[in-house]
Amino acid sequence: MMTVIPLPILDMNVLQAIRSMPWHLRMPMRAVLLSLSLASCAGPSPPAIPPPEPLGPVDLQTAQNPVQDRLLDVGVLVFNAPDDGAASAQLDGRVVTEIAEKETHYLPYVLRNTLVESNQWGAVRVLPQDDPSVDLIVRGTIIQSDGLGLQLRIQAQDSTGREWINQVYYDSSDLEPVRLDEEVAQSPTTFVDPFSDIYRQIANDLLGRRDAFDAAELENIKQVSQMRYAAELSPETFSRTLEAGADGLLRTTSLPARDDPMLQRVATMKLRHHVFIDTVDEYYAALYQEMQPVYALWRSYSREQIRETEADQREAARSSRGSTGFTALSQSYNRYKWAKIYQQEFAELAEGFNNEVAPAILELNRQVHGLSGTLEEQYVQWRGILREIFELESGPAPVTE
Amino acid sequence: MILLPLLGQAATAADNIEILDLDRTLRPDFSGAWEKDFNRSDRWDQELTRQIEQMQRLLQSQSRGGGAAVGSAINLGGQGGGGNIVDLARLAEFISRQTTMQIRQTDSQVIIEREGEAALVCGTQLDAMETFTSPFGSEICGWDRRQLLFRITLPEGTGILHRFSVSDDKQWLNVATQISRGSSTPFNLIQIFYRYDAPPESYSCRQTLSRGNVCSRTDSTGDDDSDPFANP
Repeated sequence: MMTVIPLPILDMNVLQAIRSMPWHLRMPMRAVLLSLSLASCAGPSPPAIPPPEPLGPVDLQTAQNPVQDRLLDVGVLVFNAPDDGAASAQLDGRVVTEIAEKETHYLPYVLRNTLVESNQWGAVRVLPQDDPSVDLIVRGTIIQSDGLGLQLRIQAQDSTGREWINQVYYDSSDLEPVRLDEEVAQSPTTFVDPFSDIYRQIANDLLGRRDAFDAAELENIKQVSQMRYAAELSPETFSRTLEAGADGLLRTTSLPARDDPMLQRVATMKLRHHVFIDTVDEYYAALYQEMQPVYALWRSYSREQIRETEADQREAARSSRGSTGFTALSQSYNRYKWAKIYQQEFAELAEGFNNEVAPAILELNRQVHGLSGTLEEQYVQWRGILREIFELESGPAPVTE
Repeated sequence: MILLPLLGQAATAADNIEILDLDRTLRPDFSGAWEKDFNRSDRWDQELTRQIEQMQRLLQSQSRGGGAAVGSAINLGGQGGGGNIVDLARLAEFISRQTTMQIRQTDSQVIIEREGEAALVCGTQLDAMETFTSPFGSEICGWDRRQLLFRITLPEGTGILHRFSVSDDKQWLNVATQISRGSSTPFNLIQIFYRYDAPPESYSCRQTLSRGNVCSRTDSTGDDDSDPFANP
């Protein structure tokens, strides 16, 4: 039988002692303190929406010698953050929202790395927004991301407008054989992402769709992206080369000759543009490198926090209701107080994560080659500059009837 | 001739008028370091005696009038469904033991830090907000004109209401705590705090995840000095 220790005796000194502990020791201490007071307490727990079935272990399908003609350029867009108005309305919610925003830059880079690792694709880059020069665009929305689970909605669409995948992926770190916190504590930099299966599954699904296309279809996708980019630079000249079929998909109607001077200028501009988006991708890489160890640590704490909360809920449901008397009242108050103290400590942790990652985000958005604003804004400015250069080099656009 | 000096004074006074920011909700300034004034604060045992005597007088008058008890049930002891006044009084004393508190306030929020307790944090906006929810209890906060309120509800139904108000000269802080349970008579305890000058912070700290609290010395002007150290 568990002895009930009245928490008032512990209060002040224990709190001070815990606050001076490193974070990774505070979490286990919380469990000890809350379990010390088992008495009257019960409360309704919020209804939980069960997540989809988590992925099991997934092997990434890699290629030793990929067929060059089948390599498509892929752009993984910065993910969308979950729309959680209720959370951000709360004071702690603001911190959580900030973390989610940082994840929108971090998670697509993990997917990008997985696609590169598979060796099945051409250039794979993280992009701030849609780009007509790439063959396949992958969009992601973060539905859930914490230490225990990652749930993403992934949509992929090629340059013709054909949807490749549009589905929700879920992976749980519970299936991982290693203890995250121990691994993180030992070496955060060599930490293996606990949700790597999700990225492997997305990469395999994309590959499955690509392999369903024959060479002519893949060639059409490449041609459409080439002409979409050309039409963005000079709509007057190139928009006629594309048309939407009955199925709504774009296809090329006529192609300029390979030695067409306008097309050669487009190719030159595309090359410059790709140098730029390679640079943008490098910024995301730098952010990823900077965030990775701190993010791994954050996820580990998050996982512990969720497990503790679940244990608290189980304990609350188990406890009896309706006890009175000063001892019961003071113990009930103490449970409330400790639960709140630890929630505030966790919010402080989250703030620490945001503080630590903030310089990397600033670096990401710093001015590039005289451009200003966020990286997204610089990207728009750059595309505008390229259009202007193209017009200057090409002279006035031909008059069309 | 006579008006001119008056107009000059009016202009000077007008120059000193604080320009109101209409986008900002005006709230009393609670910020500062506060220490309990034991002489002016309620003593829980005396307050308990007073409330019990008051109840007894009420009971006597009701019995003389031959009427049944009206309003709240009066529970002086025992283990009924409602909380008895003695237990509620002891709980009020138990959660009001802090002798000092530090309050920080910005345009958007008020943070009340009390020794050995979770901080009470509330926004300055008009709407009441839920600031904490757990199986062990919940907390909402809001404003009642110039008073800042925190309402805590424990799972078995005990309610704790803290009502903070500050004097016009900002020298005194009044914290009224009410403990209630079911239909029983609530217990009220008022504590008075006076402002004191806390020594300025020697270090400016910033929380990080991997290095813990990173602090740097501040000089007398409050500017950061270059000597950061980590205190995980």
